Amino acid sequence: MLIVDLVQSIVDGLLFGATYALIGIGFTLVFGVMHKINMAYAAASVGAAYAALRLIALIGGPAWASLLIAAAAGGVFGLIIYWLCFRFIPLSNPLATLMSTVGMFLLAEEIIVHTTDGMPQNYPVVVRGILDMGEFMIRGDLVFVFVCALLAMVVLLYLLYRTKLGIATRAVSQQPVAAQLVGIRLNHINALTFIVTGMLGGFAGALIGSAVGLLSPLLVIPLTIKGLIVTVIGGLGSIPGAIIAGLLVGMAENVFQYFRGVTERDIYVMLLLFVFLVFRPGGIFSNTVKRD
Amino acid sequence: MLDVQDIVTAYGKIEALKGVSLAAAEGRITCLLGPNGAGKTTLMYSIAGVLKPRRGAIRLGGVDITGQSPSAIVARGLALVPENRLVFPQMTVAENLEAGAYQRRDAAEVAVDIERMYARFPRLKERRTQLAGTLSGGEQQMLAVARALMSRPRILLMDEPSLGLAPLIVEEIFRIVGELNKDGVTIFLVEQNVHMALKVAHHFYLMEQGRVTFSGEPGKLAEDEVIQRAYLGTSRQASSHKTG
Ligand SMILES: Nc1ncnc2c1ncn2[C@@H]1O[C@H](COP(=O)(O)OP(=O)(O)OP(=O)(O)O)[C@@H](O)[C@H]1O
Ligand SMILES: [Mg+2]
Repeated sequence: MLIVDLVQSIVDGLLFGATYALIGIGFTLVFGVMHKINMAYAAASVGAAYAALRLIALIGGPAWASLLIAAAAGGVFGLIIYWLCFRFIPLSNPLATLMSTVGMFLLAEEIIVHTTDGMPQNYPVVVRGILDMGEFMIRGDLVFVFVCALLAMVVLLYLLYRTKLGIATRAVSQQPVAAQLVGIRLNHINALTFIVTGMLGGFAGALIGSAVGLLSPLLVIPLTIKGLIVTVIGGLGSIPGAIIAGLLVGMAENVFQYFRGVTERDIYVMLLLFVFLVFRPGGIFSNTVKRD
Repeated sequence: MLDVQDIVTAYGKIEALKGVSLAAAEGRITCLLGPNGAGKTTLMYSIAGVLKPRRGAIRLGGVDITGQSPSAIVARGLALVPENRLVFPQMTVAENLEAGAYQRRDAAEVAVDIERMYARFPRLKERRTQLAGTLSGGEQQMLAVARALMSRPRILLMDEPSLGLAPLIVEEIFRIVGELNKDGVTIFLVEQNVHMALKVAHHFYLMEQGRVTFSGEPGKLAEDEVIQRAYLGTSRQASSHKTG
């Protein structure tokens, strides 16, 4: 049944797309605050998932603990990236932090490859089982991934829109000079942004691991590219945009895979990016009214 | 209260301030006038810590604050209403005010102060849930002033608050400046509106091309001459008035 299979891939894609949304939010939030791209972001996120894997193997613990450990490790990695790649690098040169984070990307990938001999590793699966809905089915692991990602987004939005630090973060991204004038320290907010996005990334990395069932260094480049695509489609700096774009890319990827197979699907995801770059370079929500 | 001694601030190789000295006395309104490009905004940002002076000293209440971070300077009781207002456009009016109180830890008192701002600026109360970027220019100026006041400054710096506003709104702004001053806030004001500035100021300075070229009380210099020098910067022949 073509229709049933198509609906099946759309639903699966939407559910898995929530992880892309998290990665996209990470890119977009750093961009919003610092107007810089952190190229090492997805690599650090996968690295954090690996760190959780290692720690669980070492000290044991339930599968779900890997999510929390990955989030914590992601926060630490985020802070390290901020200190090594941003804190003391001249921000006025647009290429400087791009190069430093590309360097960090390569370093993170090398570390992963060397500590795992480049072999894929099994990742603890938190939720198994399939909900049979007659004609089609819902994968329990994907629903779990989706719900967890949604929860992480709710927590993030709460932090951003309901707390003092959230107000400060938005202030820095909207008007950094005025933010300084009300006494906000830019360095603190920048570091905090790297920690929080790092935690989101680590969490997303672990979710991806648990849904796919394994981690591989081969995840790093596609995740980086998809995160960047989500950021562009969603509009640089837009969190709602990143969420919608993440789901969209997840869905599109699965639909393309359904029609053209796994080897070709990323070509079409790239084409989707070009379509957006040509017709809506500012992203999904680019026509919002602004006035100053 | 504020004492600026011979400061030099440069953008790259170009010195925008070439040794500026002036003072704003406690409890008074001090005005700084000068033509476009004189360096008034550069001076304001240098005092507030956003720009770092190459030379010279800035003292606030007797304490040397030269080169300190903006957040340290806010903590010492100085707030700047920046040129062009610079409200946080995608935040509501209420959130802008909360941001103004960023360094304060007394949440209950902050809430009281926000209500005080609404009493002083009723238009802001009507628009408390509106995004600041959608306010009119006058409303944004009110918001920028209210936001600065939320840190409870002892001295308030204002950089051209009347810029681009209708005469009625300008009157309103100056009325508020007078009120704030009566409440004990020291005011240091940059203005292009010479007439209004001379009306409220206790003391004023003229600045041209990075230097202070006149210092005195309103009335010491005829208003037309101030206007001429403030707008056109044609004072080389009148430099006998020059003070430190
Ligand atoms: N970011 C900058 N980079 C380089 N030069 C600058 C910068 N900002 C200001 N300048 C220069 O410094 C000088 C003083 O500028 P400033 O903005 O302080 O003048 P102003 O007195 O505030 O003028 P206005 O009345 O137009 O606001 C000008 O010559 C200006 O071109
Ligand atoms: Mg100016």
